[in-house]
Order: sequence, then C-alpha cells, then structure tokens
Amino acid sequence: MRNRVIYLILLFFFSYVKGLAQERAYFNQTEVGFLWGKGTKSWEGDYENRMNLTVSSFHGAKINAHHVVGFGIGYDQYENLSLIPISLGWRGFLGKEGRSQLFGGMDLGGGSTLLEKKETTDWYSNWYEGGLMLHPSLGIRLPAKNGKWALSGTLGYKRQQAYFFEGSFDRSGNQPLPGSSTLPRGYSAMTETSFLFHSLVFRMGVMF
Amino acid sequence: MKTPRLIKAFLILASGLFFSCEDQINTTYTYRTMMPVYLEMSDVRARMIAVEPAQPLDNPGKIYLYKDYLLVNEPTKGIHILDNSNPSSPVNLSFIPIEGNVDLAVNSDILYADNYVDLLAFDISKISNIKLINRVEDVFTHMYRHDTGQIITFKDTVITTDSPRWETWRGWAVRSDMSFAANFSAASQSYGTGGSMARFTLMDGHLYAVDETTLRVFDVKTPNEPKFVKPIDLGWGIETIFPFQKKLFIGSNRGMHIYDASTPHSPTRMAVYEHAVACDPVVVNEEHAFVTLRSGNFCVNNINQLQVIDIKDPYKPTLKKAYPMLNPHGLGLAGDFLYIAEGRHGLKSFNVKNVMAIDQNQLEFLENMKSVDLIPGPKSLIVIGPDGVCQFDYSTPSKLRKLSCIQVNNPVVIK
Repeated sequence: MRNRVIYLILLFFFSYVKGLAQERAYFNQTEVGFLWGKGTKSWEGDYENRMNLTVSSFHGAKINAHHVVGFGIGYDQYENLSLIPISLGWRGFLGKEGRSQLFGGMDLGGGSTLLEKKETTDWYSNWYEGGLMLHPSLGIRLPAKNGKWALSGTLGYKRQQAYFFEGSFDRSGNQPLPGSSTLPRGYSAMTETSFLFHSLVFRMGVMF
Repeated sequence: MKTPRLIKAFLILASGLFFSCEDQINTTYTYRTMMPVYLEMSDVRARMIAVEPAQPLDNPGKIYLYKDYLLVNEPTKGIHILDNSNPSSPVNLSFIPIEGNVDLAVNSDILYADNYVDLLAFDISKISNIKLINRVEDVFTHMYRHDTGQIITFKDTVITTDSPRWETWRGWAVRSDMSFAANFSAASQSYGTGGSMARFTLMDGHLYAVDETTLRVFDVKTPNEPKFVKPIDLGWGIETIFPFQKKLFIGSNRGMHIYDASTPHSPTRMAVYEHAVACDPVVVNEEHAFVTLRSGNFCVNNINQLQVIDIKDPYKPTLKKAYPMLNPHGLGLAGDFLYIAEGRHGLKSFNVKNVMAIDQNQLEFLENMKSVDLIPGPKSLIVIGPDGVCQFDYSTPSKLRKLSCIQVNNPVVIK
C-alpha cells in the first residue's frame, strides 16, 4: 500500500517534470562515487569500514534560476546488499549562472530491493525489504565552456534503512494461534534484521 | 564570506555525523513456543468444577462414544457433552470445564478424566446433573514437582525477543521448535481419539492410561472409587492404546507393544513388534493387527504404509503384508471393513476379509473427505477432519452416506 502511494506520487512528479522539460527547463545530474560507512562494532571492539559503489541519476525541472525539483533513481551497494534508491529531490544553486556554483540538495525516498532475490525452500523463506532513505548533500558545479554542460562533485550524508527477513514455515500442522498477529500466517518462526546505514557519499559526474 | 562558512559548517556537520554514527543492525526473533506455566496443584484442586451450558467446539481432541452421547474433549479445557441419539443432528448439551484435561473414558455411568496430575471421576448417570464424585490425587506425575506441589504446563504463545532462539524463562531453557514439538505432542496432538488414537482405555474393570513413557493402571471395579494400582514403564514415544480380548495393543513411534492383561492389575509384556520410526495407530481383530505408519509431523521417516501383522501367536507378531498408503492417520475396524483416514488425501474404505489382497478390495476413496481419525460407532462412523466432526451412515459399508457435520471453530489443519 505504502509502495503504491510512492509510485503514484512518483508518476505524478514524473509527468509534471516531463511537462516542464518540454519547456526546456529539464535538469539532469548523473554521478558515480562511493559510499563510506562505519560498520558495527566487532567482538574485538573495532569497526570495519565499508566502501561501496553508488550511482545516482537525478532528473528535475527548473522552477526558477536557482531551484530545481525532480526525482532520483540510482544504485547503492552496501556490502552484500544492493539497493535501488528512488527519491524525490530538490537542488538549490548559489552564485551566478555560467560561473562555478555551490549547490545544496535534499533527497527523500526509499530503497528498493528489486535486485535481491527471495529465496524459498521447503523449510524456510528469506528476503530483503527496503526502507526509508534520507540524503542531504552539498556540491560544486563547474560549468564547461559551452555553458550547457557542467562537471559536478557532491559530498553528502545518506541514511538508508533496510530489512532482512527469514521465516521458517510451520510444518507442525497445528492450528495458527488465534490473535497471534506478530507472526505471519504459515510461519513458526521469523527472524527480522533491521539495518540502518549511515554513509558519507562522495560522487562526481555531470549536470546539464 | 558566506560561502566558505557554509562549507565549513557542512564539513563539521558531516564529519560529526560520520564519526558518531556507525551502522546499526538489530535482530529480533519471533517464534511460537510452548512457554512453561507454573500452577499450584492445591489451587487447581480448590476450584469448583461446575457444569456449564453448551459451548461451541473450538479445537476438539479425543472423542468418546457412550450410549447416545458424544463426549468431546477440548484439550486442556474440558469436555463437551453432546446428545447423539440422532446422528443426523447431534445436540450440544453442556460443557464440563476441567483444567489440563486431555483424555477421558466412561465406565458404568462414571466418567474418568485427567485434571493435570489428578484423575477425576464424574457421575454421569443423569446427564443433566453431572457430579464430581471422586478425585485420585498425584497419579499423572509427569510435569509435576512433588516436593513443591507445583505443576508445569505449557502455554502456546508467540514470543518476540532480541536474543536468538534460546530463551531462558524462570530457569527453563525453552527452544522454539523443540519444546513446541515435545509438549504439543503430549497435549493437543491427541486429537481425534477414542478411536485408534486413544490414550485412556478401559478393560476388565481397569482403566489404563498411557502417556509418553508410562502405562498407568487403575482399578475401577468399584466405578465411583478408582484406585491407582501401579505404573508400568514402556519406553519412549508411546502414542496410542487399543484393548482387545484381554490384551493391550500399545502403539509407539517405534513399534507396537503387546501386553497380556489377563491379570488386569498387572499387565505383562508379551512382545514388541518393532519397525522404523513413524506415527502409528493400531486396531486389532482376532488374528491381525492393522497398523498405519505415517511420515510427517514429528514422525520423520518417509514411510506411508498400512501394515497387517499376524498376532495369532501374540508372543511372536509377524508382518504379513504391507500396503503403500498416501498419508494414513487414524483407522477404524468394523467387522470385515477397515476405514483409513488418509489426512489431506481423503478417506478410504476396504474389505479386509482377505488380508493378503486388501489393495484389491478398496471399496471407496472419498477424496474430498479430508480426515485425521475416525471411530466406528454403533449408529454412525464418526470422522474427524478439517470440516469438523462429521458422521456417516455406514450400514452399507461400501457406500458411506454423510449424516451431519458439527462445526468447529479451529478445525484440524492437515499438511
């Protein structure tokens, strides 16, 4: 249900942005970089850092000289987990057009686990579910000589939630417990692991 | 000047966030388990047992036929009394609330029922005025700590915890699947009994009760004064008991025990017929024992069979023939006709006059009548399954005719 609402909002947004784009107000920011984060404390007491690939593509419409709104889609790797972040976003620019500019960004959305396969055997089933994503960023825009293209560099913070579920099927043949809503029907046990990733984001790319 | 300040502020903020924030990974475990519950037996005994008005059947256990009445156990809760003088429309009469009750038997208008560790005797000669007349204390001693007078029972619950699998609860290490299996089989698994899956049985003025490991003998020659005689150790995995001509046939998950009960207060072992591990109810006639072996549930071997065992010499039971089955649960024998509950596959009937050719004498295979147990009664064949408690007219053994089904709130689930 929540997903459906998100898709609807995205669809609306997309059509709005497309409409604006026809007025040559289209804005694109496509970047590649890495996510850097501090893993959980090991039993020895130290942290294992993670550094993984991130790709992002933001499509927006200029609502005036300094502000862009749009949506973003990308690819984020967190160790063994691959997520597709889908978000709504804003970019604000500081400084004169045609010159080097500073910009700030804010993206809010969720991570999709489309790339993770659900594994089901006779005995158990396990799968990932995506969660909320929040991504404020700050960057620099260096325009190329012809003025239309620009190089960009972004530094940001990304907060991403995700969940891993592993359930054992109830094979005892016993009746489900009345009112036991904490356990989904058909399962005798469920292990839920929630992940909250805090990452520093470094990206470079182009804007046009 | 505005710009560098902004960068500085962001860098400070970002580094602050980064150095203070590590990834958070939290795991919660949710599982169904049998959680120990401690009860003072003195409290249990102090509570009055008063017959209540009829209650709907929730999750029926053992079913017992007595005269025109159906006595239906509601595991750990009590006993429903139904008037079955017309099997086409049984009437729910009343309910006897008995804590911890999983089994029952009736002898000369006296109903015997377990109440945790005690055996109760009720006078049911007037069905509208059932009275508790006797209590034999401290006889079913499993799950009982005699020194403290406390009993441990188990409550079927769902637990969520952030520590994996092993959960300590007042000194008990409870593991989700293990404890559930062990205790559930002892409690509610005795569903649909009174037929071949009974755990209480009566013969020659004695009441025999089997639990997982022990056969207990009660002298009930004076019906309203049951006397505990003695326990007899049987070994593990005891499931059912079937009396026949001064012998007790006890089904375990490893085989069938035959006990000589010609001295009723002290049955002695005649033989143990062993087979691979499987669940196995037993029914018997003069010459043969019919045993079903089933895979699934806690009986893990992949065998689904009907075995015919020659018991003409009860000291030397021998396998005569085995027939493949789909997933046989309970079974019932009425004269030359054998009825087998095939779990989710349905209900089968056979003519077993010629035990060497049972497979060629299948009479009917009702695939839509999913069933776990059955009782051939004087007026009807009672079948227990996901549809509730159903009754069939079996006066023409080759053609079963459905008479009625008693609705059940939580019917048996068959995998």
